[in-house]
Amino acid sequence: MESLVISSFIKDYPASVVIVNRELEIIDHSELWLKELQNINQSPIGVSIYNIINYTSEEFLKCCEECLQRGEITKVIQKLNPLEEKTRWLEWTISPWKENHDKINGLIIIKNDITETKRKEELLLKAKSIARIGGWEVDLVANTMYWTEVTKEIHEVPMDFIPNLEEGINFYKEGVDRNKITSLVSDAIKDGVPWDKELRIITAKGRELWVRAKGEVEIVNNKVVRMYGTFQDIDEKKRVELKCEEVSDRLLIATKVASIGIWDYDMVENKLLWDDNMYSLYRVKKEDFSGVVEAWESSVHPEDIKSAQEELDLAIKGEIEFNTEFRVVWPNGEVRYIKAIGHVIRDSKGNAVKMIGANWDFSKDKKAEKKLKDLLDITSEQNNSLTNFAHIVSHNLRSHSSNLSMLTGFFSEEKDKEEKNRLIKMLCEASESLDETVQHLTEVVQVKTEAIDKMRTVNLYEAILGVKKNLAVLLKEKDTTCKIDVSKNLQINAIPAYMDSILLNLFTNSLKYSSPKRPLIIKISATRKGPYIKVDFCDNGLGIDLDRHGDKIFGMYKTFHRHEDAKGIGLFITKNQIESMNGKIEVDSQIDKGATFRLYFEAIDN
Amino acid sequence: MKNLKDVCIIDDDHIFIYGIKRLMKEVNFGEDILVYENGKEALNGLRLHLEAGNKLPSIIFLDLNMPIMNGWDFLNDFCKIDASELNDTVVYIISSSVDPRDLVRIKSYPIVKDYILKPVTVNDLEVIQKEKVA
Repeated sequence: MESLVISSFIKDYPASVVIVNRELEIIDHSELWLKELQNINQSPIGVSIYNIINYTSEEFLKCCEECLQRGEITKVIQKLNPLEEKTRWLEWTISPWKENHDKINGLIIIKNDITETKRKEELLLKAKSIARIGGWEVDLVANTMYWTEVTKEIHEVPMDFIPNLEEGINFYKEGVDRNKITSLVSDAIKDGVPWDKELRIITAKGRELWVRAKGEVEIVNNKVVRMYGTFQDIDEKKRVELKCEEVSDRLLIATKVASIGIWDYDMVENKLLWDDNMYSLYRVKKEDFSGVVEAWESSVHPEDIKSAQEELDLAIKGEIEFNTEFRVVWPNGEVRYIKAIGHVIRDSKGNAVKMIGANWDFSKDKKAEKKLKDLLDITSEQNNSLTNFAHIVSHNLRSHSSNLSMLTGFFSEEKDKEEKNRLIKMLCEASESLDETVQHLTEVVQVKTEAIDKMRTVNLYEAILGVKKNLAVLLKEKDTTCKIDVSKNLQINAIPAYMDSILLNLFTNSLKYSSPKRPLIIKISATRKGPYIKVDFCDNGLGIDLDRHGDKIFGMYKTFHRHEDAKGIGLFITKNQIESMNGKIEVDSQIDKGATFRLYFEAIDN
Repeated sequence: MKNLKDVCIIDDDHIFIYGIKRLMKEVNFGEDILVYENGKEALNGLRLHLEAGNKLPSIIFLDLNMPIMNGWDFLNDFCKIDASELNDTVVYIISSSVDPRDLVRIKSYPIVKDYILKPVTVNDLEVIQKEKVA
C-alpha cells in the first residue's frame, strides 16, 4: 500500500525523475521522464538505465557508482551534441535511497534541462570577451588569486598563468598608477571600500594599456575575506578621450591667450551660449543678465545692432557666411571693435539648426588702421596742396613776369614820350604786384613751417577787440554793427600773430562781401565745446555759393590776386593757421543771407 | 590782311589788356574790341550787346583766374546761349596756368578753340587771324 502511494506520487511528480536499484535497473519513474524519452514502446521497468538512455557519460556512471558506495548527493552536468539537434545541457542530480536506514538500495536520479541557463551564461562570457571585460577574485584567507581568461588575455599572459595579488599589482605602471592601485587595494582590505578606477598597466609583452579596474569586497565577521571584481580593457576609448581632452585643452588655452570668445547658438531650442572669454570680451558678468541674448543686446553699440542682426539673418538663410564687425560699449563707456565669425550647421533637409562662432576684439588693429588712414589722408592732402601750391606759384609769377616782359618789349620800341611814361607807370605797377605775390607766398610757406612752440595763452575777447579797433575806420565807413558775445575770461591756446591774421581776414572778408542792400552786421559768439572753444563769426553779407565753391573755399584753387576784390589765398592761409594751432574751421552760408564761419581753438582752463 | 570784326577780351589784368590791344593794333587784328573785367561782367555785357541787335563777337579771349566769376563759370553759362545766336563764335583761353588739369578740362568745351599761354605774342595773333579769316 505504501509502495503504491509512493509509486503514484512519483508518477505524477512534475520533474523528470527515475528510480533505480543497485544494479541500476529502473524501478519507477515519473510520467514526464518517460515522455521525454522518445521511441519507447514498452514499459522500461526492470530494464537497465544504460539500455534506455544511450547518451549517459562515463562521468555519470562514475557518479552513480560513488553515490551507491558513499551515499552522497552529487550533481553531474552533461553537454549533449546530437548531430541533428542544437547543443543541450543536462544536469543530473543523483541521490541514494535507503530502505533500512543505512543500506543503500538504489538511486533517485533527477534530470534537469539547463540548456537555457547555460546558453545565457555562455552569452555573457562571450559578451565579456567582446567587451574585453575580465574577472578576478582574491581569497584573502587562502591567499590565492584567480583570473578569468579575458583578464589573462588583457595582461597578455599564457592561459596557464597563476597570478597572486602582488604580481597582479605589479602589472600596473610604475609610479602614479601603481601607487594608486596599491592604496585602493589596501583601503579595501582595511576598510572594505570598493573601487572603480581607470589606470594604466604594462602587459607581459611590455605594452602600455588603459584598463578600468573595479573591485568589491566580501566581509565576514568584520573582516574582508574576499575581493572580486572586473577588469576591462578601455585602451582605445581612453586614448581617444585623452586625445580629445588634449585638443580641447589646447583650444581652451589658445582661445584664452588670444582672447577669442566662442559662442554657440542652438536655433531649435533658441538658446545662445557663451564661454567665459565672451563675457570678458564684453566686460560683463554672467550673473547680471537673465540670458546671453540680453547681455549681447545691452552691450552692442546701438548703431550697429541692426546691421549685425541682419547679417546673422542672412547667414541663417544661407545667403552669406557670417563674418562681420560691430562695436560694443563696455560698462565704463569705452567703445571696442569686435570681429565676429560664425558657421551655420544644417540638418539633412538644409534647415539651420545650430550656429557656432567666435568673437575677438580687434580695436588695436582698427586703431592702427585709422591712424594709417589719417596719415594717408594728411599725406595726400599735403601732396595735393603742394601740387596746387606749385601751380599757383607758377601761375602768379608767370602772369607778372609775362606782363613785365611785354611792357619792356613795348618800351624799347616806343618813340612817343607820353606813351613811354605810361609804360613806366605800368612797369612799376607790375613789379609791385610781383613783390606782393612773393610776400604772399612767403606767408604761406611760413604757416607751413611755423613752430608749434610759439603757442601762447591768448584772451579771445581781447584779441577780437584789438583787431576790431584796427579796422575801426573801415567798419565805420560801411556803417557796421558789431555784436560781440564773448566771455571776457575765455582763454585759448594760440599763436598771437595768427589769431590777429585770422580775425583780420574774417573781418575784411565780411567788409568786402557785404550786401549793398543792408547795413553790415557782424556777430561773434563763443562757446565751450569739449576740449575746444568754438567761435561763431557770422555776417549778413552776400554769402558764398557753397554748391559752387564749397569744396574749394579754403583751398588754393582760387588763386590770390592783386585785384582789390580778390579772394582765395586769404581763407587758405586762415585754414592753415588754424590747423597749425590744432584747431579747425568750417563754413555755413546762404546766398544773399550771409556767412557763418565756425572756428575751433584749443581751450585753456583757468 | 583782312581784319576781324567784334573781338572780345575778358581779363581782370589791365596791363594784359593794354598789351593785347597794342599787339592787335600792330597786326591789324580787329575793329571793335569789347573788354570785360570778369565773367559776370562779360555775360551781362554780351547780353545787352545782343539785345541791342548786335551779333556776338566772333572771337573771345578768355582768362581763367578772375574774381567774382572766373573763366570756367563764364564758359558754363555761355554754353547755354542758343546756337543760332553764336555767329561762329570761338573762344581762346589765354592764361598763365600750366596746370595740366586745366588743359584736360578745356577739352570738354567744344567752343574753346585753343589754349594760349601768356605772354601773348604777335605770332599767336597772326595764327588765329589766318585760321579765322581763311
